[in-house]
Amino acid sequence: MRKPLPPRQDALWWWRHPAYRRYMLREATALPLFLYALCLLYGVRELGRGETAFQAWLAFMESPPLIALQAVALLAVLWHAWTWFQLVPKILVIPTRHGTLPGHWLRLAHVVPAALCWLLLPLLAWWALGQFAGGGA
Amino acid sequence: MSGSLKVRVQRYRPEEDDAPWWQSFEVPWSEDTSVLDALNHIKDVEDGSLSYRWSCRMAICGSCGVMVNDEPRLGCKTFLRHYADADEIVLRPLENLAVERDLVSDIDPMLAHIETVQPWLQREQAEAPEAGETLQTPVQMARYESFSHCINCGLCYAACPQFGRNPDFLGPAALTLAQRYNLDSRDEGREARMPFLNGEDGVWACTFVGYCSDVCPKDVDPAAAINQGKVASNVNYAVNLFRLLRGGDDA
Repeated sequence: MRKPLPPRQDALWWWRHPAYRRYMLREATALPLFLYALCLLYGVRELGRGETAFQAWLAFMESPPLIALQAVALLAVLWHAWTWFQLVPKILVIPTRHGTLPGHWLRLAHVVPAALCWLLLPLLAWWALGQFAGGGA
Repeated sequence: MSGSLKVRVQRYRPEEDDAPWWQSFEVPWSEDTSVLDALNHIKDVEDGSLSYRWSCRMAICGSCGVMVNDEPRLGCKTFLRHYADADEIVLRPLENLAVERDLVSDIDPMLAHIETVQPWLQREQAEAPEAGETLQTPVQMARYESFSHCINCGLCYAACPQFGRNPDFLGPAALTLAQRYNLDSRDEGREARMPFLNGEDGVWACTFVGYCSDVCPKDVDPAAAINQGKVASNVNYAVNLFRLLRGGDDA
């Protein structure tokens, strides 16, 4: 007579192996980004309410706990991006004449544009702000 | 290089036990003693009532999968010498599957999932042998070859927390085999398989934990196969949408 023990996944399964802990860390990067997104939405609302409210929001964002949150969110987004760039060669298979494009090229094709965006977008924003401020003066 | 090592084994005898319990053995080892050899030693010398699956001893049959210190491994491909510095090795039946007895897991759910995706070469029209071979170039073969090394050992199912959470998830081996046949230039069964890949328990239930690929004893890389399946599922969605917009059937 059969009497099989049913499988049971306990609540702490993710703590049991480093591979699971790395996975959970990657997924948990969404949490600080979620909080940061809430802060930005709050900022948009305050912007609509006038300059005093917006200045108060800016001061709020510069308070030590919020600076800490933004630092954590920045690290989280960098880590998340890095882990996904590492996984790209598993997903993206680009056939060539003699096989497929090597993984390190695929990773490079993601890392380089991302790094360029990181450098160029803030520069562009800084330049645009300068133009805007210059035009207003 | 030799010595002896404490081997702690999870026991469960359905006739007598209501819950699993632990039994320890001191097992002598030399450089070439595998976990399977240790189990055979225990059964031959210490306790003949111990049950476990095995057959080929060379990582071909896929029978001897067990949890070794909480990692899914083939007993025949895991050696005691790698645990020489540990206090003990702990053997449990494969995670996420029901336990029939001692180290014997019930792999029927996995086999049912594999059958679901119809992992065999399908042709739209039957061909007589006289028509000759269906030829394939080395480049065409390379597209799916690594995915065809699966031996159905179930280690990837023991490694997959999504399968642990939802046993209806088709799981790493089944979705890898679906991708293996979809990528085969000789196969014409893609349209029969895609509904299962697109479904709720298909490729989209995978969250890319990736541990299945770490534990695979044949380097199949199921995580890659499943996530390439997501690309195929997206393409299939667009094709279906186009067909429906033109008043046709989806497939």
